[in-house]
Amino acid sequence: MKLHLSPAPHVHSPQTTRALMLNVLVALIPCAIAGVYLFGFSAILLMLVSVLSAVAGEAIIQKILGQKSRINDMSAAVTGLILALNLSPRTPWWVAMAGSLFAVIVVKGLFGGLGDNFLNPALAARAFLLVCWPRYLTTWAAPLAADAVAGATPLANPAGYTLGQLFLGNIPGSIGEVCKPAILLGLVYLLFTKTITWQIPVYMTAFTGVFCALMGGGFVESMLSGGVLFAAVFMATDYVTCPMSTKGQIVYAAGIGLIIALIRKFGLYPEGVTFAILLMNVATPIIDRFTKRRVYGYEDNKKKEAKANG
Amino acid sequence: MSSNNTFRGGVHPLHGAHEGKSPTRGQAVIDYTAETVTIMMGMHLGAPSTPTVQVGDHVKLGQQIADPVGFLGLPVHASVSGEVIAVGPVQSVMNPAAMAVTIKNDFKDEWVDTLEPLGDVETCDPTKIVPAIKAAGVCGQGGASFPTHVKFAVKEGQYCDTIIVNGAECETHLTCDHRLMLEQSKRIVDGLRAAMRALDVKKGVIAIEDNKPDAIEAMRKAAEGRDGVEIMPLMTKYPQGGEKQLIQVVTGREVPTKKLPLDVHVIVLNVSTAKSIADAVIEGKPLITRITTVTGHVVRPCNFRVRVGTMVDELIAECGGYSIPEDQVGKVVMGGAMTGFPCPNTTHIPIAKANGGVVVYSEEESKDYDEDPCIRCGRCVEACPIGLNPYKLKYFCDAGDMKRAGEWCVMDCVVCGSCSYICPAHRRLTSSFKAMKDKIAAEARKGKG
Repeated sequence: MKLHLSPAPHVHSPQTTRALMLNVLVALIPCAIAGVYLFGFSAILLMLVSVLSAVAGEAIIQKILGQKSRINDMSAAVTGLILALNLSPRTPWWVAMAGSLFAVIVVKGLFGGLGDNFLNPALAARAFLLVCWPRYLTTWAAPLAADAVAGATPLANPAGYTLGQLFLGNIPGSIGEVCKPAILLGLVYLLFTKTITWQIPVYMTAFTGVFCALMGGGFVESMLSGGVLFAAVFMATDYVTCPMSTKGQIVYAAGIGLIIALIRKFGLYPEGVTFAILLMNVATPIIDRFTKRRVYGYEDNKKKEAKANG
Repeated sequence: MSSNNTFRGGVHPLHGAHEGKSPTRGQAVIDYTAETVTIMMGMHLGAPSTPTVQVGDHVKLGQQIADPVGFLGLPVHASVSGEVIAVGPVQSVMNPAAMAVTIKNDFKDEWVDTLEPLGDVETCDPTKIVPAIKAAGVCGQGGASFPTHVKFAVKEGQYCDTIIVNGAECETHLTCDHRLMLEQSKRIVDGLRAAMRALDVKKGVIAIEDNKPDAIEAMRKAAEGRDGVEIMPLMTKYPQGGEKQLIQVVTGREVPTKKLPLDVHVIVLNVSTAKSIADAVIEGKPLITRITTVTGHVVRPCNFRVRVGTMVDELIAECGGYSIPEDQVGKVVMGGAMTGFPCPNTTHIPIAKANGGVVVYSEEESKDYDEDPCIRCGRCVEACPIGLNPYKLKYFCDAGDMKRAGEWCVMDCVVCGSCSYICPAHRRLTSSFKAMKDKIAAEARKGKG
C-alpha cells in the first residue's frame, strides 16, 4: 500500500478552469445558433475559422515559448468563439483568422498566457481589427436575408427599429450580439452554474442605460443596441481582466457604462463597448488596489490593529 | 432550525454528501479497548513531556507516566493498566521519531487514585478547578491541542466575559463531537459551568451548526435551568468552527491580529474539551480516552471511544477493514478533509488526544493535480474567512519574499484550506501559506534565541 502524502485540503470543489471555460462555451451556444439563424452560413464559417485559429495559435505560441501546452483548458476556444460572435457576418474569414491569432499570440501569449493578459484577448483583437480593417468590421448584413444589402445598425440610425426588433435581434449587427433572448439564456446558464456572479452584467447594462439616458439617449434602447448586453455577460465578466471584489466590480461596471455613453455621444465610433471595456481592463489593477477587503483583526487596510471592543 | 448566524466567506465542502458525515452521524459511540497502547509524549502544543516510567514498570489506569515540560507542558497519563513494554521513539503522523510509552493492557482497568475529585461543578471550590484541569492533562481537542489550563491564565488587566463551547464541527466526515453532544450533553454543560465558575464568567454559549438539529435539541435540554448557559445555532458553512470565526459570530468581536481570544475577553473550548474538564473536576479522571470517527472507505464506518494511544490500523480492522482493495487505498487522513494530516506510508500510528477522526480515501480521490495558472477568478478572495488575497499572497510565498508576504498578512491566515478547496486551477494556496508561516515563525525564534 503506497499512501499519498499531499497536504490538506483533501477534497476539492468540482469547479476547474476547464469546466468553467466549457460552461462559457455552452452558454454561448444560444447566441451562436441565433447568429446562424439570422445570418446564415457565413456565421458558421466565421465561428469555425476563428475558434480553430485561436486554438492553433495558442498551441503554436506555447510551443515557441517552451511552455506546457494548455489548449485543453479551452480558454483559446472561448476567445475564438467570442471574437467571431463580435464580428459582422460579412467579415472575410481571413480577417477573423488574423483577429484570433492576434488575440491568443500577442494579447495573451506574449504577456505570459492565461491569467497574465491585462486586456481581454477577444476585445483587444476586435479593437485591432477595427483599426486595421475598419471597412470589414462596419459593413453590416440585414438579418434573415443572405444577400441583402447592408443596412445601418440601430446605433447609426436610432429611429429605424422598434424595441421589439432590438430585443429579438431582427436588426443588422454582429453575429452574436443582436439576439437578446439568446444572450439572456446564456446569462441564466452562467449564473446557474455559478460560473459568474450577477453583479457585472447587471450593473454594466444598467449604468450604460443610465449614462446614455443622461446624455440624451433612450434608456432601454441604449441597453439593447450594439454589443452592450453581449459584452456585459461574456466579456466584461472575463475573470482575468475584471476586478476581484464586488465593490471593485461595481466601480468597473460604472466606468464601462460611462465610457460607452461618452463614446456614443461624442466619439468617432457609433459603438463604444470595445474601447470602454478595454480602458476599464487597464484600470482593473488600480481598482483592485483600492477595493481590497478589510482583513480580520485589523481596523482598516492601513493595517492598524483592531481595538478590542466589548 | 436553519440559522443565519455566520461570518463572511467560507466554502461548502462535500455539501451534496452531507459533508461526508452521513455514514457515521447515526452511529452510537462504541468502546474499543486495545491490547497495547502507544502513548505519545508530545500530544499537546508545547514541549513533549518527560517519561517517568521504565520498561517493566506496572502502571494503573490514569497513573501519571510523564511530567510536563515548560510553560505549555502537560502531564501524560496511562490509558490502560498493565506493564510498560517500551519507552522510545515511534512513528507519529507528523514526526517519524515521537517519544512514546507503550503499555501492554492487563484488562484489569484498576484506577489509580492520585487525582482528587472536586464533586459537583456548581458547588466545588472554584480556585481548585484550573489546577485540576492541568493535573488531568487536558488539552484542546478540536485540533490545535493547546493546553487548556493555559487558556485560563488570565493576566493582569485581562478579563473574560464569555466562554464559547465549540460544537460547530464544521470539518467534513467527523461526527465525534456530534455524538458526544447527543450522548454526553450534561457532561458538556457541566464542563462549561466548571470553566465559567473557575473564572467567574457569567455567560456561556454552546454554538452548534444547524446541520445537527438533534444535537441542538439535546444541548438545549441539558442546559435548561443552568446559570448563564445558552445554545446558539450557526449556519452550516466551513470554517464556522474556526476559533476566530466563532468569536466573530457569537460575540461580534474580532480577535486583533497577533492577539489571543482572551484579549477580546473570550475563551473557546471544544465540546470534547468541555467534557474532559467535567471528567477532571467531577471524578478526578485524567484525559485518557477520546471519541474518534473512522469513516471513508471502510466496511463499517464507526464512532469509537478509544484509549489514547490506540493504533489507527487496529481501528480500521475493527471497522471490518477497507471496503476497497488495499491497492486502491490512496490516503488515510487523520482528521477531516479540510485540515487533516495524511498518514505517512503506514497506518501503524497512535491516536493522540486531539485526533477526532480517521478517513480513508481511494486512489481516485487522492490523485494529485498539477497547478494551473491563476485565472484571477476571485473565488479564493471570496472564500477567505479572514479577508486575505490568497491569489496574490501565493506569489510572494512561492518567491520566498517574507517581507511582502508579511505585509499581505500571511501570519493572519488560519490555514483553513478554503482557498485551495475552491481554486479552479488547483493551486496549492494553503500549503504555501503554511510553509511561509512556519518559515517566518522559525525566523522569529532564531531572532530571539
